[in-house]
Amino acid sequence: MSILDIRAVPVTAPALEVPMMPTAVQAGFPSPALDFVHESINLQEHLVYDPPATFIARVSGDSMVGAGISHGDQLLIHKGTRPRDGDVVIAVLDGQFTVKRLRLTGARIRLEAANPEYPDIEIPELSELSIWGVAYMCLHGLR
Amino acid sequence: MSQHLLALVDVNSFYVSCERAFDPTLAGRPVLVLSNNDGCAVAMSAEAKELGITVGAPWFKLAPTAQQRGLVARSSNYELYGDMSHRFLQVIGEHSHEVEKYSIDEAFAGYGGPLQGAGLWAEGIRRDISERLSLPVGIGVGRTKTLAKLANLAAKRVPGMQGVCVWDGLDAEYREWVMTRLPVQQIWGVGPRSAKKLAALGLTTAAALRDSDAQLIRRQLGVTMMRTVLELRGQPCIQLEEEREFRDSLVFSRSFSTPVSTREIMAQVMASYAQRACTRLNSRSTEAKTLTSWAMTSQFNSAAKDSPSATLSLPAPTNDPVLLTRAAQALLPRITEGTRYTKAGITLTDLSPQGVQPSFDLFAEPQQDRGLGPLLQQVREKSGTDAIGMGRGGLRTAAEWEMRREMMSPRYTTRWEEMLEVHAR
Repeated sequence: MSILDIRAVPVTAPALEVPMMPTAVQAGFPSPALDFVHESINLQEHLVYDPPATFIARVSGDSMVGAGISHGDQLLIHKGTRPRDGDVVIAVLDGQFTVKRLRLTGARIRLEAANPEYPDIEIPELSELSIWGVAYMCLHGLR
Repeated sequence: MSQHLLALVDVNSFYVSCERAFDPTLAGRPVLVLSNNDGCAVAMSAEAKELGITVGAPWFKLAPTAQQRGLVARSSNYELYGDMSHRFLQVIGEHSHEVEKYSIDEAFAGYGGPLQGAGLWAEGIRRDISERLSLPVGIGVGRTKTLAKLANLAAKRVPGMQGVCVWDGLDAEYREWVMTRLPVQQIWGVGPRSAKKLAALGLTTAAALRDSDAQLIRRQLGVTMMRTVLELRGQPCIQLEEEREFRDSLVFSRSFSTPVSTREIMAQVMASYAQRACTRLNSRSTEAKTLTSWAMTSQFNSAAKDSPSATLSLPAPTNDPVLLTRAAQALLPRITEGTRYTKAGITLTDLSPQGVQPSFDLFAEPQQDRGLGPLLQQVREKSGTDAIGMGRGGLRTAAEWEMRREMMSPRYTTRWEEMLEVHAR
């Protein structure tokens, strides 16, 4: 096993409810549950691994439904990470933040929609491509 | 050889840069950020400066021709700037073990590696902040805070430097060239009044001040100016005040003698507790970034159990009693009328040492004056805890809405309902 990545653990978690056991134990048997006290799962800790560079955005439109991203969903976006082929990215197109799938094949750069009703966009030059961030998770409500 | 060096990292046109980070249409355009009530310009992009607009320009005069000149104005978005400032410090903290927040958009960072590596280190910080936060920064590195500030100035003014300048990495001749041309008032810590006194002594440039008689300066202008002289010579006198992340919290809570069951009375309780929690913050010289106000019913009353709480992330760390008292009122809508609450409290978290400079000085509302907390405390010490306080009448929860901020961008990073919108079209 080798260590591939070391990161600082975020210390500024939001205020979440934490079950606390009384520290002063009454006389008698100590509660066996005391050994098993653990903080509730902190979603921030598990979903946001680079807090200063993580941003959240709401999706408007249905061009990415094929990628499981629907209108009204929230995307967690990591800024400053290098986009790879196949990543869902937030690209700046005509002054607007647009969600697309990035395709890098050979010298070709394409921004694909995940809905046949929307055309793909061919980017002639890498210098003309402006990526704001990489979306790495989609929050999709089920009710 | 390893040497202890200091970097001053600051964000170019911070307020405008925060706006631009979330709005690509602002790139390359003249942009202004307006003061409270959209009164006057408090920050502007380089393009707006080129139009001749200066800090303090009243908006009503600029508005009529704004569209024609392509000028865009934004109301001040405290929450966004405060949150981005916090992220900015976090990123710097990944590059340095010693970080001191100096103001909302400036921080000192320590570097302990070899001098030859300082440029790359600083460049790494610059690139990281640019890529992860979309904020453009300038970085000056020097052996003292004063020299780091000076290098920062050079980093911005000298075109070839592209935002990073390591003072000791420049050749000696060039450093001397800068020093002999830099007017004293451009030096960190030299205000207009000191500049006048220095001029009377014939000291008008950085080089002249550096080579002056330190003892004479001490006698004539005081010990602070003498430190500046020594710092210009490369002798550190102004220590790095490390910002420690205090992980502790401050809680002020009490059980009631008789249960509280109305919002009106709970409002009084919250106002009083917030002010007392504030007194404690002040006495420790700390500021809080997060306030939680809470109440609970008796644990023995299972019939109507309720434990409402409201957590507010403040725009910037503060120990201002007005802000905190107001923030504590966020609990009220969650209070159920008629429920008998037996205990309530204020919990302050994300504590940090009091900032060196007021973070929002340009935007400060009149009552947000830093002097208020200590003043209230003085009166309390002299005349008792209940001798002075801010009455309910002055504590409106919606004070923010009274302000005119007609051109405010969404609070993208601090409000769920205002988050960034991305298009899937």
